[in-house]
Amino acid sequence: MTESRVCPSCGAPAPGESNFCEECGAALSADVATPVQPPAPTPEPAGESSPIEELGSGPISSATTNYSSAAPPQSAVHACASCGGVIGPDHYCEQCGVKALSPRDHFREQAAPWVAGVCDKGIRHHRNEDAMAMAASADGGAVGRRAVLVVLDGVSNTDDSQIGSLAGAKAALGVLAAPFPDGLGTPESRLAAVNHVLTSAVKAAQAEVVAAATPDAANPASATFCAAVLEGDVVSYANVGDSRSYWLPDGSAGVQLSVDDSAAQGLMAAGMPRAEAESSPQAHAITKWLGQDSEDHTPMVGQLRITEPGWLLVCSDGLWNYASEPQQLTEQMQAAGTDDPAALALALTDFANGRGGQDNITTVLARIPGPAHVHNAEQTPTTKEQPHG
Amino acid sequence: MAEFAATVYQNEFLPDGGTDVNAIVTITCTGAGTAGQSGSGAAGEIIIVDTSGSMGRETMEAAKDAAQAALAEIIDGTRFAVIAGTDGAELAYPPVQDGPALAVMDETSRQEASHAISRFRASGGTAIGSWLDLAGSVFASLPEVTQRHAILLTDGENGEQPARLDAAIQRATGYFQCDCRGAGTAWKVEELRRVAQALLGTVDIIPSPSEMREEFRAIMQTSMARGVADAQLRVWSPQGAQVLFVRQVAPTVEDLSDRRVEVNALTGGYPTGAWGDESRDYHVAVRLPAKAVGQEQLAARVQLALGDDMAAQGLVKATWSNDSELTAKIDQQVAHYTGQAELASMIQEGLAAKAAGDDATATTKLGRAVQLAAETGNAEATTRLKKVVDVDDEKEGTVRLKRTVDKADEMALDTASTKTTRIKK
Repeated sequence: MTESRVCPSCGAPAPGESNFCEECGAALSADVATPVQPPAPTPEPAGESSPIEELGSGPISSATTNYSSAAPPQSAVHACASCGGVIGPDHYCEQCGVKALSPRDHFREQAAPWVAGVCDKGIRHHRNEDAMAMAASADGGAVGRRAVLVVLDGVSNTDDSQIGSLAGAKAALGVLAAPFPDGLGTPESRLAAVNHVLTSAVKAAQAEVVAAATPDAANPASATFCAAVLEGDVVSYANVGDSRSYWLPDGSAGVQLSVDDSAAQGLMAAGMPRAEAESSPQAHAITKWLGQDSEDHTPMVGQLRITEPGWLLVCSDGLWNYASEPQQLTEQMQAAGTDDPAALALALTDFANGRGGQDNITTVLARIPGPAHVHNAEQTPTTKEQPHG
Repeated sequence: MAEFAATVYQNEFLPDGGTDVNAIVTITCTGAGTAGQSGSGAAGEIIIVDTSGSMGRETMEAAKDAAQAALAEIIDGTRFAVIAGTDGAELAYPPVQDGPALAVMDETSRQEASHAISRFRASGGTAIGSWLDLAGSVFASLPEVTQRHAILLTDGENGEQPARLDAAIQRATGYFQCDCRGAGTAWKVEELRRVAQALLGTVDIIPSPSEMREEFRAIMQTSMARGVADAQLRVWSPQGAQVLFVRQVAPTVEDLSDRRVEVNALTGGYPTGAWGDESRDYHVAVRLPAKAVGQEQLAARVQLALGDDMAAQGLVKATWSNDSELTAKIDQQVAHYTGQAELASMIQEGLAAKAAGDDATATTKLGRAVQLAAETGNAEATTRLKKVVDVDDEKEGTVRLKRTVDKADEMALDTASTKTTRIKK
């Protein structure tokens, strides 16, 4: 043993010169080794903590600060999420044998009682390159409600995409956390201002994904981007690549808000049915992404006014691979039978894993109890999609 | 300093509803050093030679020569003794009435012991239980000797009541290790195998007196190269799981399941005795409550423990999947050793049926053995089987019992039945 560094995030030994933990992908700080702390005396579900919180993302309103302060420090050895037993040095529970997922491989976050998400490694991939970030006001029914849902899907087979995606998600959240500017006050200028903020969020994420790889990296980190922001009754959304946002109302047909930058989307635009296009050989080839080798990361942006209760979903393809049509997602949500976004995000994660878990799975949900505004008709934006640079 | 390493071979993928996890864990020891010189206590060797009347002159002389050859292999400084066995047991060397009954090996004691052996004369009966008991008392006379090993040679069937032998075996179990050899064909394989298996030793036939010297030399060399006095295999399984069996599968098949001692509620310990530079394979089978597709968990931690220290650990996993391509595969090592374990029982059961005059059962079992030996590439077993049966179709396992079989060939097939071959990697 030449060195005795351990990962500050998951506690795994980190031999050699690596700057990142081989176990969880967290950055290893250059300073002194952090000893692995003894297990917490009271069982604490591993999923309650999130590396995002460590990075500073969190609730906006003071009323929800409890959600982040309740999380244990990342360096703590968690009790088993399944039985409460002690996690052994081999990262399995010493009581029930369940694998303790590293905080990077599986994390859950709840920004407010109505906004929560799960970011999970899935089954087939050896690490979780997806990332999420979120923020929300305390009351999902309030007129001034606001929620930000961000998902980045790091492209596998590139170096350090798990670093880039997480930093990118956090950077995007930083840009989207403040209320949108009004512009000059006209609906057009307000829309332009919103689009400008969304585009800035993409640029901030892009900067982080680029920074995750060295300039001479052979396979530089790259990622998709998808964000949805609910402000009052209006959802503003943006995406690059094939992570998606959906609006899934309780009482009527759902819609996919985002438009994939993918080969499959190209085929669909040319008239091929969705099921056929999405199962074609190159279906998952994305035509836009963030990263050093990104030629164009202009997001597709749009807005939608909420008029009834429902779910706002932002997810990675690890979920929609198994339920692409809004109707299929709605069926799975109804099958889960819960109004709790945290429980529903877990249920959808389990659903995707149960179907094979071929990719990392990220599910961020906002439960919207219905329109908060009943007036202000002149402010209503219609559904729009426009490339915006 | 001895180093241990554990490697796991398994298919961790279980189908939906699947419960049984099988794994082969290879444990390899390197840098074991020399017996009694690794700081884990002194080593003691006892050579037990049958001097009953049935030993013919040639066998007796060969046995003396072999015992002397074994003495030559015992490293100076090692504690040792020589026992002559008949209807009772006599401490032939060192010549003491009380106190420590193990001499320190050096040039003088080696010569004295050799001289004592040269005076052996064949007379009387065979009482293996009393020999084991005396060996136990001799070891006990010197508590500082913590690595205890004996060689036992006999040429005949035990003359004691079976219960007497069983009781002696039980007293010796876990206290000293014993390699057993049978000279000629008048001894009982089953009897000596019972001794050797309980005392973590080997059993074999020495058909001809001329082979005895080399056999004894080799046994003692192996024992002297065991620098790790004692190690325990530990198997942890999760709460709610059931360990179906723990079986050593290489170099020989030994079912360890019944030897479990509780380490803690979830961990069982199994004795493995002393270790030299070698590797041994273990087959561990665990039954888990089925989990949902997509779930992953640990099915077993398989460890080698020296005292309370864990020297090596292998992790046996379980992942439920609905991908039949993943779940349908049987790990090559697991399949190989499952076949080899069945081969061992088919040979033993086949020979037992043959001895009992049940030719139909013997033909079926030995036929299956021929088939398994071919399937698992155990050429030595195939060669030995062909001395006992005529093979019509190796693939189908169709055989006929030979009309005349050399007794020694049949016993060699029996004693070697537990020897396994490794898969070619």
